[in-house]
Amino acid sequence: MVKFYETSYSYDYSFSAVALAYFLRYPNPYSTHVVSTDVIDRSYDPASQQLTTTRLHLKKSRVPAAVLALLPRRAVGASEKGDSQSFILETSTVDIKNGWMKTESRNLEWTGVLSVIEKQMYRRPIEVTNITFSNCENAAAAHGIIGPNSREADLKTYEKTDVTTTVVLQSRVNLLKWRSNSSGTMNGDEKQGFFSRWSMGPVQRSIESIGFKRAQRSQPNAKEGMKVVLERLRQGGLVAVLDGMRRDREEANQGVFKRRYGEGDDTKATEVDE
Amino acid sequence: MSASLAPECNDVKERYDSCFLKWYSDKFLRGNAKEDECAPLFKQYKSCLDKALKERGIDTMIQEAREDNRENDAEHMKGS
Repeated sequence: MVKFYETSYSYDYSFSAVALAYFLRYPNPYSTHVVSTDVIDRSYDPASQQLTTTRLHLKKSRVPAAVLALLPRRAVGASEKGDSQSFILETSTVDIKNGWMKTESRNLEWTGVLSVIEKQMYRRPIEVTNITFSNCENAAAAHGIIGPNSREADLKTYEKTDVTTTVVLQSRVNLLKWRSNSSGTMNGDEKQGFFSRWSMGPVQRSIESIGFKRAQRSQPNAKEGMKVVLERLRQGGLVAVLDGMRRDREEANQGVFKRRYGEGDDTKATEVDE
Repeated sequence: MSASLAPECNDVKERYDSCFLKWYSDKFLRGNAKEDECAPLFKQYKSCLDKALKERGIDTMIQEAREDNRENDAEHMKGS
């Protein structure tokens, strides 16, 4: 059982700006749930001019009540309130010569409950890839079809990056794995009932539907987060991005502090956007 | 800059991140990169991080996920 989701979008920024913002997108005001980001592998191939990166993100999340109603909390590693955290493995390849960036993110934990794989393809628009400004202008001038505004029109195309996002969700509740992990909280009958319910499929389908709605909901926020970083880049370059990051990080930490000590418990949850 | 999972690696991560950003924006994105100039710093950062991942028992999880990926990809290729 697999659910599939696809969406396309164009950023009004150049490909190199988007390819830079991608590595700088956390923290941003829309990503206060991202706790940490580490690079675990990176390799550059000078011949192809491709850069391949593997990163590990730690994100806070709240397991939806609807999922908690279907599965034991322990199966998804959540607290009583449904607070959880999960590791996301992200791989990306940037091909600067051909103007594309391919990314893939997947959750590392509770993949037995729900595995979510998000793939993105970023592309410099074809008209920008194939013709350079000077060639275009020279040709256009030679044919007398160039107007005073054509340079502006070219730049407009240049400041554009297309992205297609696909999300694949799959719930393959792993009975064997769960069985070996579970220890005596349910008696034999309950266990049997529980497992036979799982093997029937409706639970998987429900979890996939919930995950599907979440994936759809998180897309606009992911996009807005990128746009904040891109705008900072445009306004003030790398310095502005790094300053903004520092502020976002401080604010996120304060938010955790307030929630942690304001509510008098050890809850670290924030309202998350995924 | 984003924080490291392991606070003890934050310093070396920040040094690496700064180096990378400079190389990436000045050289790579302009198509002028000859080699990864930050590889020595990455080696330092990675040795700190690998230790931290191992201590936290996350290294096997990452390994398994990557192996699982390869298996899935192989199966996917067979099916198509």
